[in-house]
Amino acid sequence: MWRDVLPNAWESILSRIRSFEYSQKNAVLVPAAALGVGGMLLYWLRSGHKIKTIDMGDGWWGPGERPLKGKEDASIRPFKIETSDKEIEDLHQRLDRFRFTPHVEGAAFHYGFNSTYLRKVVAYWRNQFDWRKQVEVLNKYPHFHTTIEGIDIHFIHVKPSYVPHGRAVRPLLLVHGWPGSFYEFYKIIPLLTEPAKHGLNEGDVVFEVICPSIPGYGFSEAPHQKEFDSIATARIFHKLMNRLGFREYYIQGGDWGSRITTNMAQMLPQSVKGLHLNLVFIARQSLGRLICIMLGAYVPWLVGFTREDVRRFYPYMQKNVYDLLRESGYMHIQATKPDTAGCGLNDSPVGLAAYILEKFSTWTDKSFLRQDDGGLESKYSLDELLTNVMIYWVTSSIVPSMRYYKENFSKDPDLSAHNRVGVYVPTGIAAFPQEIAHVPRVWAKDVYKNIITYSYMPRGGHFAAFEEPKLLAQDIMQFVQKVEQL
Amino acid sequence: MLLEVLLVLGTLLIYFLFSKKKEETLPFKDGWWGRGQKPLTKEDSSIRPFKVETTEEELSDLFRRLDQARFTEPLENSCFHYGTNSVHLRKIVSYWKNQFNWKKQVEILNKYPQFKTKIQGLDIHFVHVKPPRLPEGRAAKPLLMVHGWPGSFYEFYKIIPLLTDPASHGLGDEHIFEVICPSIPGYGFSEAPHKKDFNSVSAASVFYELMLRLGFNEFYIQGGDWGWLICTNLAQIAPNHVKGLHLNMVSVSKLGLTHLLSVLLGQYFPGLFGFQDEDVRRMFPFLKKGLYRILSESGYAHIQATKPDTAGCGLNDSPVGLAAYILEKFSSWTDIEFQNLEDGGLERKFSLDDLLTNIMIYWVSGCIVSSMRFYKENLQKGIGTQKHEKLTVQVPTGIASFPNEILHIPQAWAKKKYTNIVSFHFMPRGGHFAAFEEPELLAKDILQFVDKVEKEQLWKKKGE
Repeated sequence: MWRDVLPNAWESILSRIRSFEYSQKNAVLVPAAALGVGGMLLYWLRSGHKIKTIDMGDGWWGPGERPLKGKEDASIRPFKIETSDKEIEDLHQRLDRFRFTPHVEGAAFHYGFNSTYLRKVVAYWRNQFDWRKQVEVLNKYPHFHTTIEGIDIHFIHVKPSYVPHGRAVRPLLLVHGWPGSFYEFYKIIPLLTEPAKHGLNEGDVVFEVICPSIPGYGFSEAPHQKEFDSIATARIFHKLMNRLGFREYYIQGGDWGSRITTNMAQMLPQSVKGLHLNLVFIARQSLGRLICIMLGAYVPWLVGFTREDVRRFYPYMQKNVYDLLRESGYMHIQATKPDTAGCGLNDSPVGLAAYILEKFSTWTDKSFLRQDDGGLESKYSLDELLTNVMIYWVTSSIVPSMRYYKENFSKDPDLSAHNRVGVYVPTGIAAFPQEIAHVPRVWAKDVYKNIITYSYMPRGGHFAAFEEPKLLAQDIMQFVQKVEQL
Repeated sequence: MLLEVLLVLGTLLIYFLFSKKKEETLPFKDGWWGRGQKPLTKEDSSIRPFKVETTEEELSDLFRRLDQARFTEPLENSCFHYGTNSVHLRKIVSYWKNQFNWKKQVEILNKYPQFKTKIQGLDIHFVHVKPPRLPEGRAAKPLLMVHGWPGSFYEFYKIIPLLTDPASHGLGDEHIFEVICPSIPGYGFSEAPHKKDFNSVSAASVFYELMLRLGFNEFYIQGGDWGWLICTNLAQIAPNHVKGLHLNMVSVSKLGLTHLLSVLLGQYFPGLFGFQDEDVRRMFPFLKKGLYRILSESGYAHIQATKPDTAGCGLNDSPVGLAAYILEKFSSWTDIEFQNLEDGGLERKFSLDDLLTNIMIYWVSGCIVSSMRFYKENLQKGIGTQKHEKLTVQVPTGIASFPNEILHIPQAWAKKKYTNIVSFHFMPRGGHFAAFEEPELLAKDILQFVDKVEKEQLWKKKGE
């Protein structure tokens, strides 16, 4: 059929060209058309390579109206965490008068935090936990405050005490999540600022580490205005790094930190040398994904799944639907009624501890649900767990920390709005086996276009930096090494 | 996108074709919910009078906690959109501490006779109110009324006199009731189950035993919220004993192709799907009034159905936290628009005394955690998976559909489950806590329902 049509078409084109008459109209129209088509072609070709970014925007989160005059105070003020007898006395009184509810027989951690074990935790908290000592531990790294967009941003800034000759010091921003804090990084910081001392000789890189507290968490002031989301946070953290004198830096995060650092990479890719994540958020909708899931169980290689992907991902319904539904009640209530959900927790330290520590149990290892003590002390010490809880308690930040869920989810229910923008900066992903949900590399690539490293970690869960600091540090370093060589 | 829609429709069609509603009864669920092993001796079945009590110690402990409550400032202009507004909460706490008189409220609670009796290993609390006067030769009709969450037997205190003594309240004396309001095990003064799996069928079985123990062979039952489900189950367990089932809330858990189609097209072809004008007015636009509303209001149910012991822990320790959690429901479930008010519209329909009395029942009995476990025991396997959800109800049913109920279920959907709907009325006003908020409207609807059942001897018809 084509053999018949083509000669005729060619004939008709030739005849049209032959009958082409010179006229003024054509003299203008034809070049104009050619220019138009050529221009569009060129734009289309170039736009394929042009990196899209998300708009930085601006914001004001202080109380009342934004002041019209005067520049914001950009000073960086040293800060030390303090406590008082009154604070400790008040805590002890509340621990003493905690009203305990017996659990049903055989509950383990299936109904939430086991109240028999909770009693033991409270007894330790009341009688052995030494908050003053922990405050000293917290103060061992230098803390600072600086005002950005109307609120006080807290951060720690740790420089290596000793830099071997010829080694470069790279700035690294570590962002925590919920229900964590800057304190989650206390064990990994020395591995990053002084790797050699800890037996990690991963190349030439040494870091100076900056760990801010997300506004509304810990010692960062809570936003007074609505709609403070991860984009606003990303922008504020860029401003923070800028204020500290950094133009290019590495960023790392898990949980909300993963979302914030991803937004940072999308906002100002030129400032982000590398993005490292220990959790990936991917929206799962689409027929293509559905087919991928169905086929992946039988012919994983066809859809780009590795054997380890299959091991972690299936059975699909159990691990990705039922488990997530079972674990996301907190997310649902915090994304809709944060002020209600957090009210009692800001008033009952034991309630706060149960709520937070339940996550440190289940998100570290799902099998911990079956244990009467939630397996908490198999990976963490009570001192570290309670120090994190105390940060929420002494700063009264549980409610603002929960509001973050509403501010992010109501604008973007499946956190996929910026997936289309993609992430082009060099990215490293550390996939921990006990993370709440596993995202295979082939799916992560849909958003993270420039994955330099993707590692299946041998052990560890959601709180990677807290639980497996050495593994995470090693992965960050080998990622940065690769980026430096690019 | 189209392919996905077609796949979904196809699946629903197949499911719909292969699922059939059966008319079996639901088996009575026996159990032992007490601590440890069931003893070999026979259970004590005596009915013991009970009085709510309080002590100075209880009060001073409460006041100390109220005094030391730590509040978090709300975001500017957030009203009740983020949950209970803490500025307004502060005012309520101040009233609670300075004006609310718990001793007086305890006397009010004790004005109706209360009892406890052991059933299946648990001490069951209930209120039992007989009519103050009965005309010659007349018998009182037994009526079991079941509360829900976060309510209690106290929700019925305003409607009880309208049912036990209707004549004094201008409601005619054709039908006079003796009312029994138990507390669901794990709520208020009823003992909480010590074993897992105490669900709505268990509660229905326990209440069935209660009614038999009180000597009633035939009775009416009424409920909303969990009371809706427990009464439905009771009607499925013992249809020959339940003369009539009255509900102020209905829910459906078996959704099929018809439901999907009626949601998509019901606005345009209401007649086709059996929708009345009022149904359309209440249900559409469906995304806003159906889907988004469920999502934005069901966070509590999600966390309570998965981690009740965590969710309730702090609330049993902080009365202010408990109040915030419970009051939020009395706001948005009475009228969803109350979220736009700085005070959550709380005092428009209820007095602070009434609201706080209900909260105090949760506080003094320490039952918030066990009340939340009921969600897990009922919902943990998912919605629409349990046996009783697949069975229909044949006893005469009356439904009072209140306009501000969280979700509106039209008669067209309800009758698939409740095959013998005798009356279905759109109430002119009122929300989820019908007995508490609009006792007269609800009482009138119950009376007209019972009247229909009695006049037409409907309960006898199904036996034939």
